[in-house]
Amino acid sequence: MKLAVVAIVVLAGLSLLLGAAGFGLPDADILWQLRVPRTALALLVGAGLGISGAVLQGVLRNPLADPGFLGIGGCAALGAVIAFYWGFTAAFPLALPLSGFLGATLGCVALLLVFSRAQSGPGLILAGVGVSALAAAALSLLLSAAPNPFALYEITFWLMGGLQDRTLMHLGLAAVPIILGCAVLLRLGPGLDALSLGEEAAASLGAPVARTLQLAVLGVALSVGTGAAVAGGIGFVGLVVPHLLRPWVGQRPGALLWPSVLGGAALLLAADMCARAAPLLLPLAAEPRLGVLTALLGAPFLVVAARRVAP
Amino acid sequence: MRVDRLNVALGNRAVLQGVTFAVAPFEFVAICGPNGAGKTTLLRALAGLLPGGRPQPRDVAYLPQGARCAWAMTVRQVTALGRIPHGDQNPAAIEAALTACGVQALADRRVDQISGGQARRAMLARAWAGQPKTLLLDEPIADLDPSAAHEVMALMAGFAQAGGAVVAVLHALDLAAQYATRMVVMENGSIVANTSPALALPAAAASFGMDLRAETALLLRPKQTKDEAA
Amino acid sequence: MLFFQRSLPGWRALGGMCGALCLLAGPACASGVVSLNLCTDQLLVLLAPERIAALSPLARDPSLSVVAAQAAAMPWVRADTEAVLRLRPDLVLAGDYGAQAVVAALRGRGITVVQVTEPRDFAGVASEIDAVAQALGQPARGEALVATMQARLAAIPPARRGNAVFWEARGFSAGPGSFGDAVLRAAGYRNAGTGGEMGVEALAAHPPDILITNAAPAYPSLATDMLWHPALRHLRRTSVAPALMACAGPWSAGAVEALAR
Repeated sequence: MKLAVVAIVVLAGLSLLLGAAGFGLPDADILWQLRVPRTALALLVGAGLGISGAVLQGVLRNPLADPGFLGIGGCAALGAVIAFYWGFTAAFPLALPLSGFLGATLGCVALLLVFSRAQSGPGLILAGVGVSALAAAALSLLLSAAPNPFALYEITFWLMGGLQDRTLMHLGLAAVPIILGCAVLLRLGPGLDALSLGEEAAASLGAPVARTLQLAVLGVALSVGTGAAVAGGIGFVGLVVPHLLRPWVGQRPGALLWPSVLGGAALLLAADMCARAAPLLLPLAAEPRLGVLTALLGAPFLVVAARRVAP
Repeated sequence: MRVDRLNVALGNRAVLQGVTFAVAPFEFVAICGPNGAGKTTLLRALAGLLPGGRPQPRDVAYLPQGARCAWAMTVRQVTALGRIPHGDQNPAAIEAALTACGVQALADRRVDQISGGQARRAMLARAWAGQPKTLLLDEPIADLDPSAAHEVMALMAGFAQAGGAVVAVLHALDLAAQYATRMVVMENGSIVANTSPALALPAAAASFGMDLRAETALLLRPKQTKDEAA
Repeated sequence: MLFFQRSLPGWRALGGMCGALCLLAGPACASGVVSLNLCTDQLLVLLAPERIAALSPLARDPSLSVVAAQAAAMPWVRADTEAVLRLRPDLVLAGDYGAQAVVAALRGRGITVVQVTEPRDFAGVASEIDAVAQALGQPARGEALVATMQARLAAIPPARRGNAVFWEARGFSAGPGSFGDAVLRAAGYRNAGTGGEMGVEALAAHPPDILITNAAPAYPSLATDMLWHPALRHLRRTSVAPALMACAGPWSAGAVEALAR
């Protein structure tokens, strides 16, 4: 684990050296106003997504769960769009993470309602994809109705994510909710371990099943909701990170939590560094979207994992 | 433990009507009857899992139907989950449970890489590791082959002989008759028979709408073997 | 005067009578001009407001249109074939991008559609005004408009002011050969823009002598938020009213004047 922390620190250092101005230490303003918020946000949002994926998989007892494509990220983005384009954010900046949090809560609740009927398995995944599609549709509908003639063109940010041009203000708004969300989720280890036996067996062991589910919703909504509000829709991190880590830390859900925090942070930072490096190395007109990069990595993962789960 | 005059309704249906049931140490009670008779609900009531009930994690271990672990943990890790009510990882208790259930040799194997019978015994070890006074099991042998089924039944009988109480919902009437000390037959939410297996068998068969042909009842007995390795 | 107020039965009856009269009078009767494009909207209002049948919805937005006040009192129509046909125009003005399907459908019905290309410099603006004025039958008004614009441009004292970047929403910079480039040069700047996307960090690393943007809009938008990123707060910058640059036209001389101050 210590090795992981060292690796992340090194990665963060490299990230601070990488940007549109070229590879190397830029002047102080660029460093503090552009690269520091971007690096820090990549770490925070990635950490939140990683551990949310691990917790969702533990709660739903399904290794294919991910807050991105199961619609929680989409619902969060929906909330953020409402807050941003109808002026709430301009009046009251905290409205942005708050609206993301509310949207993500809704998404979690919808998912758990389906889960209580469909239990685990492909039906659950399908329902989650349905929620995600609904959220994306509502998003584009709202953007086309927004009091801003160009709002609909910004849909690619909300659906595919990105960390360009984030400011220290965004970092300030996002840091506390995400850290809080991760802290809540990190305490769910024993509850998730008990849940691997099923909800009834876990209850008979005296594990606080209902409280575990509620705290899971709270923690996921805080981390994913805030993450989507400042970085748009980024998926697959919550799917890929626990998958990659399970062979190393074991199959016990509780053992995955801290590693998923670090793994998610590292993965998203690496993806963002690729996004920044790409225009420097290839003749691209603009940076590739962060959500696109994670999807390019994660979608094949999903296909392989799905085949293993349901042969 | 006991329940008295229990009435339970789920939706519009009365699932249990006026059921009184008790179990004492050294008893191995088999609950039999057709599907929908309320057997699982009675078991859940005993486990304290119905609304308004309270589980007793240190004294009662409950194995639901089709008990399995969602993740491919090792047998030892699964067994260790049984210590959750006690909040510790008492290695002695875990080892004792592994040995008692005959899965010590498989302790470091993943539960998705062992046979169905071995996995079920691992689940039983999880229940055992909590050192409960009572075991409640819902159809513990339903998906096992005859030899594995016998092993599990023998383990349950052993638990009762050592001073615990075992209540199990069973469909295999022959195995129930062979190992249980008492048989309870349920039909439509009520108990229709509550006596020794030999006497209760005809009622059990009748609850399925079947006749008992005692003279041709097929009983299998396990060979005296050691634990298989794989 | 054909100021139709929406869905007032009296006006509909009047319009219906006019339409009937026009059918009797033959094709010489002008029943109105429809404009489908912000740029032609503004020219139409300046050159022939009495013939307007409908404008595009953007004409009434003060952050995009210099004639928003007048346009607010006029009817509007979306670029939709059926909606336009219902107005029975005898002339339609449109741009050469967007609503192409509508243009083709209208031409198929025999309606004259005049398309204008976005001009790339003030000479192009002059020829655009001439073309539209001809189509509207108001060549004199067109000439007057061109003369005013050229007088304003000539009145600007020449100067050499260093390099500048004209930076628009989502980081697009006006490149060489674009209208923004022409405005900068008319104001005495050298254009340091590339014509593509210039990110915040690129500008912060190689700042121009002056950064020019449209004034921040009233509505929140990710695309314009980035233009005010804190990393650029030390740059010398100025802004122009967005309506002056949304379309290249005679009003854009006002942008040159603002930059030359």
